[in-house]
Amino acid sequence: MSLILRNLQSVVPLRRARLRRDVETLRQIIGVQKFDMGLICVDNERIQRINNTYRNKNTPTDVLSFPFYEDLEPGKLPVCHHREELNLGDIFLGVEYLMRQCQEESQDFHSALTVVTAHGICHLLGYKHGTEEEWTKMFQKEKYILNDFNRLTGSQLQPLTKRHGDDT
Amino acid sequence: MLKSFARAVSTAARISTRSATAPSTRVLEPLMRPTFCANSAITRPFTRSIWMMTSGSSSGHRPTLLNSSRGIPSVSCGCGGLHTEGDKAFAEFLSDEIKEERKIQKHHSLPKMSGGWDIELNGTEAKLIRTIAGEKVTITFNINNSIPPTFEEEGEQGQKSAENEPEIVSTPNFVVEVTKQSSNNSLVFDCHYPEDETGHGEGEEESDIFAIREVSFQPIGDADWKETSYTLNTDSLDWALYDHLMDFLADRGVDNTFADELIELSTALEHQEYIKFLENLSGFVKCQ
Repeated sequence: MSLILRNLQSVVPLRRARLRRDVETLRQIIGVQKFDMGLICVDNERIQRINNTYRNKNTPTDVLSFPFYEDLEPGKLPVCHHREELNLGDIFLGVEYLMRQCQEESQDFHSALTVVTAHGICHLLGYKHGTEEEWTKMFQKEKYILNDFNRLTGSQLQPLTKRHGDDT
Repeated sequence: MLKSFARAVSTAARISTRSATAPSTRVLEPLMRPTFCANSAITRPFTRSIWMMTSGSSSGHRPTLLNSSRGIPSVSCGCGGLHTEGDKAFAEFLSDEIKEERKIQKHHSLPKMSGGWDIELNGTEAKLIRTIAGEKVTITFNINNSIPPTFEEEGEQGQKSAENEPEIVSTPNFVVEVTKQSSNNSLVFDCHYPEDETGHGEGEEESDIFAIREVSFQPIGDADWKETSYTLNTDSLDWALYDHLMDFLADRGVDNTFADELIELSTALEHQEYIKFLENLSGFVKCQ
């Protein structure tokens, strides 16, 4: 039902209201407003620790998703019978990693947050990019979501999903 | 555990303070109490002579003291206070403790807050003040009771080595007052550090570094909280409104970086006051 936003880092100044507004727009486009979802902003140190713990990769990254439902068929929303099941899971945003990336590539930081959050929500909904086929499905979904976002907000965002096998 | 010691010291200090505030003629009164004598081990001639001086007679009309085979545990140097063997041991212990605390003291002067905050100290209370474009922002916090309890289990030996001692961190509640020139009221934010962010356990904590608990308008310059002003509690607040309030504070320099620096400042101030307290306690015990 609600988006739980947490900012656990001090490295990057964050505009919470704007981030919430953009992510709520994404949730509306995807049709998952009735689900709880956590969005947790962390620095490099913490996302590296989480990446190492859960994926055995001891490096910082931009986004990590922890789905509440682990075996969802991509594109199908979970069927929930109880209030507590209305939960998609949590997305950890590596905001320090993203900020540095944006600085290097002269990109807008808040736009990048929206793009990686769209990517993270797709993972919560069962999308993956391990194979060419999975990648195509996920890319199309992200493109559809961001096109709608662009139409509603006047932005020009492009999907994050890289070629299959890329480590994102 | 340094702080469990601090609590014991604190209790002792409260007892001492009661003795100290009593008139000097009452100081010897406990000597006549049977319960006090019952705890004593030896009779000291000096003690007795004091009793004789105050009683003005050795006629024996105070038989409980004179007839007792057990004596009084303390002597007086004429300063109006007791001096027991326990006090001596206590003073030695305090001396060692003060040395140890000074050794581990990170900051000999208080760390500076970035962002041009002026600091005003009044005992355990501190105020940080900053003016931006005619708007005055005041942060008030008190270091008393600002150290959250630790819940870590004791080791197999029942004690932990000094290296494993959890670092003591002061995370005080703090009040932010934003005052605009054109208004008679300040917008007041009651903020705190959620407990799971202060280093208990191994899990990934998911609370913000600091959080707003309540928001209210209060008359400028009123020290007391006006209960009749509407108080917005954030427990049941629309999240979007909460985020705007957090952004409002961030625009005035109260963000996660500020909150981290406030912990550092408060921890240094708490440690400074703790050492000062131990020194006062030591001086009090030794009558210096």
